[in-house]
Amino acid sequence: MTAASPNPAGAGARLRAAVHASPQQWVLAGLLAVEVGVFSVVGTNFFSADAAYQVTRLSVELGLLALALTLVIVTGGIDLSVGSLLGLCAVLFGTFWRDFGMSPVLAGGAAIGVGGLGGLLNAVFITRQRIPPLIVTLGSFSLFRGLAEGITRGVDNYTNFPASFLALGNGPQIPVFLATAAGAWLLLHRSTVGRALCAIGHTPEGARHAGIPVERRVALVYVLSGLASGLAAVIYAARVGQAKADAGTGYELAAITAVVLGGTSIFGGRGSIVGSLLGLFAIAILQIGLRLASGPAEAAGVLTGVLLLVAISIQGALSRQAVARPATAKPTEEELEMKNSQLAVLCVVILAAAAIVASSNYLLVRSIATGPRAAPSAGGVGPPSRKITLAMMPKSKGNAYFIACQRGAEAAARELGVDLIWDGPTDPDPAKQNEIVDTWATRGVDVICVAAENGKGLSTALRAARKKGIRIVTYDADADPDARDFFVNQATPQGIGYTLMDTAARVMGGEGEFAIITASLTAANMNEWRKHINERLAKYPRIKLLDVRPCDDIQRKAQEETTVLLNKHANLKLIMAICSPAVPGAAEAVKQSGREGVKVIGLGLPNENKAYVHEGITEAVILWNTMNLGYLTVRAGHDLVTGRLRPGAREIAAGRLGTLRIEGDNILLGTPFVFTKDNIDQFDF
Amino acid sequence: MRTLLRRYLREISVGAAYAALLALLAWQAPRYFQQQFASVWVSIAPILVLAIGMTLVILSRNIDISVGWQLSVCGVVGGLLARAGVPMPAVFALVTVLGAAMGAVNGALVAFMRLPSIVVTLATMVILRQGLAWARQGEAVYGLPADFQWFGLSQAAGEGVLVLAAMALFCAFAWGLRWLAAGRAVYAVGSDREAARLAGIRTGRVVFAVFVLMGALAGVAAMLQSVRSPQVDPNAGKDLELRVIAAVVVGGVAVSGGRGTLIGVLLGVALLGTIGSALVFLDVHSTWQRALEGGIILLAVSTDALRRRSGP
Repeated sequence: MTAASPNPAGAGARLRAAVHASPQQWVLAGLLAVEVGVFSVVGTNFFSADAAYQVTRLSVELGLLALALTLVIVTGGIDLSVGSLLGLCAVLFGTFWRDFGMSPVLAGGAAIGVGGLGGLLNAVFITRQRIPPLIVTLGSFSLFRGLAEGITRGVDNYTNFPASFLALGNGPQIPVFLATAAGAWLLLHRSTVGRALCAIGHTPEGARHAGIPVERRVALVYVLSGLASGLAAVIYAARVGQAKADAGTGYELAAITAVVLGGTSIFGGRGSIVGSLLGLFAIAILQIGLRLASGPAEAAGVLTGVLLLVAISIQGALSRQAVARPATAKPTEEELEMKNSQLAVLCVVILAAAAIVASSNYLLVRSIATGPRAAPSAGGVGPPSRKITLAMMPKSKGNAYFIACQRGAEAAARELGVDLIWDGPTDPDPAKQNEIVDTWATRGVDVICVAAENGKGLSTALRAARKKGIRIVTYDADADPDARDFFVNQATPQGIGYTLMDTAARVMGGEGEFAIITASLTAANMNEWRKHINERLAKYPRIKLLDVRPCDDIQRKAQEETTVLLNKHANLKLIMAICSPAVPGAAEAVKQSGREGVKVIGLGLPNENKAYVHEGITEAVILWNTMNLGYLTVRAGHDLVTGRLRPGAREIAAGRLGTLRIEGDNILLGTPFVFTKDNIDQFDF
Repeated sequence: MRTLLRRYLREISVGAAYAALLALLAWQAPRYFQQQFASVWVSIAPILVLAIGMTLVILSRNIDISVGWQLSVCGVVGGLLARAGVPMPAVFALVTVLGAAMGAVNGALVAFMRLPSIVVTLATMVILRQGLAWARQGEAVYGLPADFQWFGLSQAAGEGVLVLAAMALFCAFAWGLRWLAAGRAVYAVGSDREAARLAGIRTGRVVFAVFVLMGALAGVAAMLQSVRSPQVDPNAGKDLELRVIAAVVVGGVAVSGGRGTLIGVLLGVALLGTIGSALVFLDVHSTWQRALEGGIILLAVSTDALRRRSGP
């Protein structure tokens, strides 16, 4: 960072004062060095300009929020709404650009303006109404996200931004970020306003008596925080290539973690921009480094949490000593003692942090393959002498659907002797998927297989990976055709929508009312299915779709939503659950309601629905064989690298699946399968 | 009379809002009361139990945002224990102890290390969430014994037990907060920790105890939540902390500590728990639900500000 070059003693002290480095920041800088060192050894291609570029590029949005939050937290406040405001601004940016026909520049400016207004709303409630910031921003946290969902009705997704705009997300945002950081540093550490903010954080009443316009200054930081969210939203849209209502979910917590890790006191009064940047990079490097070392992404989360606890424990211990000092009699001796104890604490922290990182990496080292790989030679025939590394990503790791996929993929990897890396977001999150593809490209795998949560958004990252000679296979949900070599098509959206609707019509006897439970109103593939369900619905004039309710992929919520629907609609004949956790959830709700006439159908896995199918509540579960989907995807990826599968091929020999048809660049798994009482026991996944 | 009105302004206004919502439903969608009203109370029983703990935490001028994932961890562990053949009463006890242990970690860091609770629980939330995802990869717990769902009772009896258990805990804590020395100590610590210490209250122990209780209640809530279904969903506690904090704040508990009643919290839980299903019955599109909830929270805290301005 700034304090790298050697300096004469006096200048060194000045520099130290200038960057406001506290012991905690030296610890953090040490930790960063340890992280970089460890990951350079265990991570593939970690110590490279490319990786450094990725770390910076991915940190920009979070970094902007962290800078703004540093100012907010210095005044003793907090802003939980930044992530939601980012989502709202991103969506409005899309609206301005597409629906109002503004140029991207103008739309960007307007979106940042909206961010400022959102911040102003917080500021008014906090300074005029004197409501605690935690509460105000907790409220606006829901409000902004809710507005973003309301405006898009949850389904709208703005994509197809012009290439000149997308280029902004591929590098130019870094100077913008550095400039903002410099500005924030000047404001906090080199201006009277910054001194005023610290004073307010120490004691607002004292600051008022000292003649500081407390309300105006506090209002300023929340407006700045809003503006930063707006700017981050535009950069997010440029980087990810899409703007959707769920943009920036969870960013507020990550940004607060970075700020507090960087030594800004959560009680206010003390803070450091440099510290926040260090905290930000400590988290970002941990995440990306673990990924380059094929470590589980969850470990990064656990470690971040532990680091945060350690950091604030030190903060607490040191500040208590600082408070205790004036009360004692002998300052000099006390000071000496203080220094000794501080030193001891610091040593312990550095050791502990190093131990945490090292021990986590011990686990990783065991699972790491050999050093860096060259990019695969294009189209070489015959099995290569080295092992092929195949990286495969589900939409989200928790979903039983993808767990079944993983089992199939592992079986194929064993048969073919392929190194399989399986990683993905914990919750469905398009931005996370982009990041993982970027790090895999940096790492240099041979094939990337991915189920795209949002195809348009992911395509930019996939194209970049393709340029590096990595083969791309999409499965389950497709990306743009020019961003991948092949798509393993388990069933077309039309096939799914029509099969669902036809099955529903059969179960309902051609007439009556039904309702749909979906995962979220924003999931692209489910909206696609719903479109085809509606298309097919036209064929059945006596069937009526009453309502569509989201369940956030949570079974408990699916159960509650279904109960509401059952109670509201007395003549409901059928619940159609189109995400897998919703099928057992809906069935349980129907069972508990005791309504004999209501049936459930849905897209789900046989195992979790067997009991309900036998009880006659769930009439039919529709799915392709998910294990085979994973199996076929790995097969296709392997054959692409070895050259057995080339563009234009008409069929593929897929091991235990026999020979399967290829239509254009779609490898077809077959038609969706309807599991019923008669056949469900034959399947175990 | 006027002082009474002013003192319980929030409880009265939240109660009025709840009554108004119910009246609107009675007018526009009377079917609501045939069944949905009862199911709402079953589904908010676990939230009410969490809200009791959260009230204690917030009264003591702290916050706990790890409760949602405490509940998830407790639920999953409870399911695994039951599947391993541990009898239900023992499962219940073990899960409560596990919750208390997680609360004790938070409590020790907040009470004895004097760390800000929002940061401590933020960190433990991330650790619990990611740790659970790491250990279970999001897989639900299937194959539970027959006496797991509804504690082996019939569904109607099970639902009754759920609501009664939550209400019994509510009454016990409401009484204790009002009439026990320990309850008054929570208020005292939250209003002014230093004054409470000078008055002879061991403030550290009070705060620690509050977090331990919060954890134990999260364990109880986890059991009340998971017995409603024959399998345990590891995401059951996702976003629950925000719902609970919102309900407590709407119910009139001051985030600055030391002020608020459990009656208000009960009404807050009921109001926010009713809105979602009420919107369905009033034919409002579900995308507006979150915006409306945010609006209610802002409105509730604004009345708080008005009260302070008109007050002494």
